[in-house]
Amino acid sequence: MPSLSVLLDSFFYRPDEDVGLIQEVVAGTDESLEPVAEEVPEEYLAFQLEGELYAVPIHGVREIVKVPPLTEVPRAAPNLLGVMYLRGEVLPVYDIKVKLRLADNAPLVAGPDATVTPPRGTRIIVVQASDGLAGIWVDAVNEVVRLRPSMLELAPPGVGGGERDCVVGLGRRKQELFILLDLWQALS
Amino acid sequence: MNAAGKALAEFVAEGTEILESLGKELLVLDQQRGVEPEPDIINGIFRAAHSLKGLAALFGQERIAKLAHQSEDLLDRLRLGRISLDDQVLDLLIESLDVLQALLGEAAREESSDALNERVKVLGERLANLGSASSAADEDPLDRLELDPQVRSVFTEYEEHRLRENVRRGVALFRIRAAFDLSDFDTGLTDLNVRLKPLGEVVSTLPSSEPGGLSGIAFDLIFGSRVSEAELAAKLQGTPAQLFALAVRPSSASPAPAEPTPEMPAAPLALAPPSAEAPAAKKTTRRKSRAPKTGAGTPTPAEAAAPADPPLVKATSLRAIEPVLPAQPASDTSSLPAVRTLTEEPVTPRGPKAESESARSLTQTVRVDISRLDALMNTVGELLLIKANLQRMAESARVDAGVTLSKMWGQDLSRETRQLERKLDALQEGLLEARMVPVGQVFDRLARLVRRIAREVGKEIDFIIGGGDVELDKLIVEELSDPLMHIIRNAIDHGAESPEARLAAGKPRRARVSLQAEQKGNHVLIKVSDDGAGIDEVGVRELALRKGLITEAQAREMSRRELLNLIFLPGFSTARSVSELSGRGVGLDVVKNNIGNLSGIIDVWSERGMGTAFHITLPVTLAIIRALVVGVSGRTYAVPLNSVLEILSVKPAEIRTVERREVLDLRGTTLPLMRLARVFNHPERPTDRYFVVVAGLAQERLGIAVDELQGQQDIVVKSLGGRLQGVRGISGAADLANRRTVLVLDVGALLEEGMSSERRRA
Repeated sequence: MPSLSVLLDSFFYRPDEDVGLIQEVVAGTDESLEPVAEEVPEEYLAFQLEGELYAVPIHGVREIVKVPPLTEVPRAAPNLLGVMYLRGEVLPVYDIKVKLRLADNAPLVAGPDATVTPPRGTRIIVVQASDGLAGIWVDAVNEVVRLRPSMLELAPPGVGGGERDCVVGLGRRKQELFILLDLWQALS
Repeated sequence: MNAAGKALAEFVAEGTEILESLGKELLVLDQQRGVEPEPDIINGIFRAAHSLKGLAALFGQERIAKLAHQSEDLLDRLRLGRISLDDQVLDLLIESLDVLQALLGEAAREESSDALNERVKVLGERLANLGSASSAADEDPLDRLELDPQVRSVFTEYEEHRLRENVRRGVALFRIRAAFDLSDFDTGLTDLNVRLKPLGEVVSTLPSSEPGGLSGIAFDLIFGSRVSEAELAAKLQGTPAQLFALAVRPSSASPAPAEPTPEMPAAPLALAPPSAEAPAAKKTTRRKSRAPKTGAGTPTPAEAAAPADPPLVKATSLRAIEPVLPAQPASDTSSLPAVRTLTEEPVTPRGPKAESESARSLTQTVRVDISRLDALMNTVGELLLIKANLQRMAESARVDAGVTLSKMWGQDLSRETRQLERKLDALQEGLLEARMVPVGQVFDRLARLVRRIAREVGKEIDFIIGGGDVELDKLIVEELSDPLMHIIRNAIDHGAESPEARLAAGKPRRARVSLQAEQKGNHVLIKVSDDGAGIDEVGVRELALRKGLITEAQAREMSRRELLNLIFLPGFSTARSVSELSGRGVGLDVVKNNIGNLSGIIDVWSERGMGTAFHITLPVTLAIIRALVVGVSGRTYAVPLNSVLEILSVKPAEIRTVERREVLDLRGTTLPLMRLARVFNHPERPTDRYFVVVAGLAQERLGIAVDELQGQQDIVVKSLGGRLQGVRGISGAADLANRRTVLVLDVGALLEEGMSSERRRA
């Protein structure tokens, strides 16, 4: 004999009361009005470098922190800005502007001879790289954007400052353009 | 970690633990080659194989389960005396252990290689087919025992076998009848067993046919005693036990076995020549007082049970783990096995570790005594109390601003802070303790590798282990295994001569390689020594010259000690040139690097024809170290205090140059000087005085010039992570108070840099 709860469930449950679909429609409205079936939007973190908008898949980002005091590391690679302490772990903080040809030199931000004090909006994006955590210096963090595959396109030739492998494509949301980065390439 | 991964990790940890205990017991058997094994040990190994089989089956590890089952089969036959423990069986068991270890390694990586499958198959067949039948007796010794046939009929096969063994060896057998009250007979029986255990072997416990009083129950214990009847009776004073000797009729076929004598009590050692007493007894003096309670197979209560007779207990437990040494080492050694492992301290079964191909442990787990964790838990509880107090004070200060600065409040605050500090210290200490593991874990794994290496190169080696209970941080112990393996391999490969060469040189036939650990304050000294050919420093010099590591002029000025230390130079040796040289040093620079990474120091001593010794000095723990905080060009660095020898204050005028290289005159000796600001490319600041930190690692000294000293502090060193590993001269970072992160200098790397630039300039 079927148990009472099964009977009650079939009595109370109405598939048309399932609101999952509606929520998705609501969430999708601000991005796209053309409902393309089978398209799962992916979330990207958008940030600024020298006035340009960049974006990386958010699943690779562990957290976003304000700039703590950085300690300079002697004899390190030029794109290393310094190391920072984050809850018991020491992680390197990198500049990627030089690699993207947005700047000629990495700013000197650590140590007593530092010439640059980070502006208020400056953040460090902490990502999980294959060999541990790493921080990336960005001018500002904007928002989390949801981009559908149909909103992505390949980067036109010449974009990415010659380092084609850092820029994996462009994301377009209405008038906004996001340069999609491969952070691990940018860090190498 | 997902559920499957978790289950696998659990399986690997537990399997490692079982294999570890298996390895320990096999090691004991190995040490006792040629001596009748303790039944307890065989049983222990049998049980370990059995539990491994069950565990592997539970986790669906078919290959391990199958091999464990086959080993268990062999062990069962061994246990029942159907086959005897000869070298072949023992070797096969040890090989099974190695294969099981390899299988577990593959299981951990979720692999399955064909090569190993093949090995498992072959081994399984050999396990199944092995076993020479036990020397068949002309008559069943049991028939000689005057025992009620009714009693005899209830023995299990194993019990019958043990009884037969005891009769065969002429051990005095007793029937011990003890009646207990029904309400607490279990504790009474356990107590009796504990008392009897150190005196001999309880073959069987049977319910007695005679009633034990109105509300009682009586047992008959069949007991094979190692001590005389009078002594046994004395030991059983105060228990309800009654003693009845079981008479044994003399054998009709062979001369009667000797009466059991109290002087030669240890049953399993009946075959040992009496001459073994002398060298074995000498060893006892070096052993710690805890030795008796950890003797293989002898439970802790042994001490309590037999306080009246300490020499006996000591002697039995000693022999349980010491192999029998011949009185004259030179004579009659040909019958001995190729390798023997000797321990100065008993092999203690603890630690969830095992050997992979590199003697490193497969698991990252540390076994912690629950009482240590309880203590930590208590400390945390007290910290929470202090936190509550501080919170209350903060609240009162917030609510009533006027009280804030009152004297009372300030006193309260400082009291709480002191408490906090004390508790944090306790917490830190407790955590450090929890990370400590005995170095014996690595030593035991090395002992097994030594067997294999010695076999490969065909040398006869006595491998001597001592100080296995010295504790080190788990991380250090793990990192230590490879360098030690390296050095030991060299000692066997290049140090130890062939038996013929040794005899010709007037040395004992068997080479000795010893591995000793010793606690020295905050450091642990690990010595690896051999009595082999020693290092030929002339050969070392030639090779270093040929490779351009030193110049002719330098070589002339070098002391013997300095010449010996050339073997640690990178590029000094390749395997081929070393074997040509009869010297040693396969990649010793790597060894030195590894030791340096652990903030350790390695030194070498060698006398031609006498042997070689490597001394490795290590800090007890890496996690928290005391550091000297120094300032250079406005930057702050930390120098591990354990490598700082002294600090000098130096005026710029005192710095001299020798061949364009800066040096200091330190009490008549020349000290190479390195300006940290220059090395690190920091802008140098003019100063009228430098502080020079004299750093020493192993035999090298270097002065590091800095601008200021900022004091000492306990620091927790964090690795810089994989991406920054390549930065030379920095070993990690630490957080000082006030969110200041400082880098920790890698003194070893700086020293090497100083030395190599010296050579380059020279």
